[in-house]
Amino acid sequence: MPAQTLRRGTLPAAIGAVVLLSGCQFFDSDDGDVDITAMSPDELADYIVLESGSYRLEQSVQEGGSARGRMEQDELQRACSFTTSEIPEGLSGEVIEMARASYEEPPGGPRLGDWERGAELARSGYGFRVGHNIDDHSSRPPGGNCYACHQMDPDEPVYGTIGPSLAGYGDARGTDDASLSYAHEVISNPHQYFPCTTMPRFGANELLSEREISHIMAYLLDPESPVNQ
Amino acid sequence: MFKKALLALPVAMALGGLAAGGAAQASEWQDPTDVLQKLLDNNPDSKYLHQSEQNIMMMPDNPALWVAEDGEQLFYEERGPNNASLESCDFGKGPGVLEGAYVELPRYFEDTGKVMDFEHRLVHCMKEIQGFDADDPEVAQRHGNDTDVMQLTTYIAMQSSGMEWQPANEHPKEQAMLAAGEKLFFRRGGAMDFNCASCHGESGKRVRASRLPKMRDSQEWTKAVSWPAHRAGHDNVRSQGHRIRGCAWQMRHAGIKPDSMANTALIAFWNEAARGEPAVLPDLKR
Repeated sequence: MPAQTLRRGTLPAAIGAVVLLSGCQFFDSDDGDVDITAMSPDELADYIVLESGSYRLEQSVQEGGSARGRMEQDELQRACSFTTSEIPEGLSGEVIEMARASYEEPPGGPRLGDWERGAELARSGYGFRVGHNIDDHSSRPPGGNCYACHQMDPDEPVYGTIGPSLAGYGDARGTDDASLSYAHEVISNPHQYFPCTTMPRFGANELLSEREISHIMAYLLDPESPVNQ
Repeated sequence: MFKKALLALPVAMALGGLAAGGAAQASEWQDPTDVLQKLLDNNPDSKYLHQSEQNIMMMPDNPALWVAEDGEQLFYEERGPNNASLESCDFGKGPGVLEGAYVELPRYFEDTGKVMDFEHRLVHCMKEIQGFDADDPEVAQRHGNDTDVMQLTTYIAMQSSGMEWQPANEHPKEQAMLAAGEKLFFRRGGAMDFNCASCHGESGKRVRASRLPKMRDSQEWTKAVSWPAHRAGHDNVRSQGHRIRGCAWQMRHAGIKPDSMANTALIAFWNEAARGEPAVLPDLKR
């Protein structure tokens, strides 16, 4: 697919150009070679995602490598892809084990950074988007996107409600070692406590650096932070 | 006045279709404003459906109605290298039959051996009947009020307003795509581990300022999947495919392509989750 090669070459260039280009590249995916009725729904879903040409899997992604890596599920993603509204019986413990096994404490232990930097990160939803409009991390760093799902600063009027409110979070928790460790564990890999949660694994998947996580922890826990006013 | 004239047309067509064919259509054409008003009345507690009073107030003047009018002209115009209209295009209910066609898609088409969603089928007809090439802007450009695909989509979809979603599910390939579509809806992936249910699993939630529809609430979901809709924030009419592309982007999944199996399977499952509920076509969204 020469078009994909072209896009890879122009990735760091103006995003606008990429948007214009994206309008004219279409490739019919093909189900002519396979009998889709002979596959289980899971097999067909895997085939559709990885083999049918439905996605731009060749496109470069911000974390390195190609978008194929984004769509190949890891163990935890596969475990959490159930179609019921509640997590299946017995799966919680398994997912918690998985998450704990991959957790890494930051060198020197979790600490609080700068809450003002944390506030910026919490508000920014930029980063890691690909496809027709690619986020350019060299021009703007990715954020933590916290406000998409959580209330934090009680004076911020626009916040999501998919996650619990974190307004006054630090007031209730304090800043002792246990509190810092717990906040870091949840931000790094929340499945340790909330198996198959909607929340991303910001540390374990390297969506944020340890320094950035320390800033967001300060925004949550620092008594001076507006979250705790 | 213009609006009334425009709305009168599909009514006449729907009634004509009933009188002539007498086929057991599950439901009759209804003005999209009336369809939405009934959804609001039936669901007084839905935060998604009631998030904006302006939504229902603006429905009678929905800018998508103008786009539908442009689409009507395009549909009957002889054009393309073959100088043909789209009147012989079969959207699943026979050549040129538009009433109720949109809400029964995706479906399996014998002539291609594939399950196709509406847009895939439309583009197929534009290529096969009118002779457009894949690179021609008439079929390559899919998004925006000024594209042929959006104008035609809006016009043709409108012929199913008020009719119940009932995507075809009898052919084994239709059943396979529906089942795979459910798996895709719940398939977690991408940089942030999201699936569609991350945002559409519960009722009344918000992502930032946006109220989210719940997939398993069919009365919220029928509005959610009722595209084409004029999207006020974009000042353009948008399609189901545009919504799916936007969701894949927000989920940090790989970019999804139109006319693809993933797109079709997801739309099949979307429309299945709204089965039996009336479609709002065209709709208006924030």
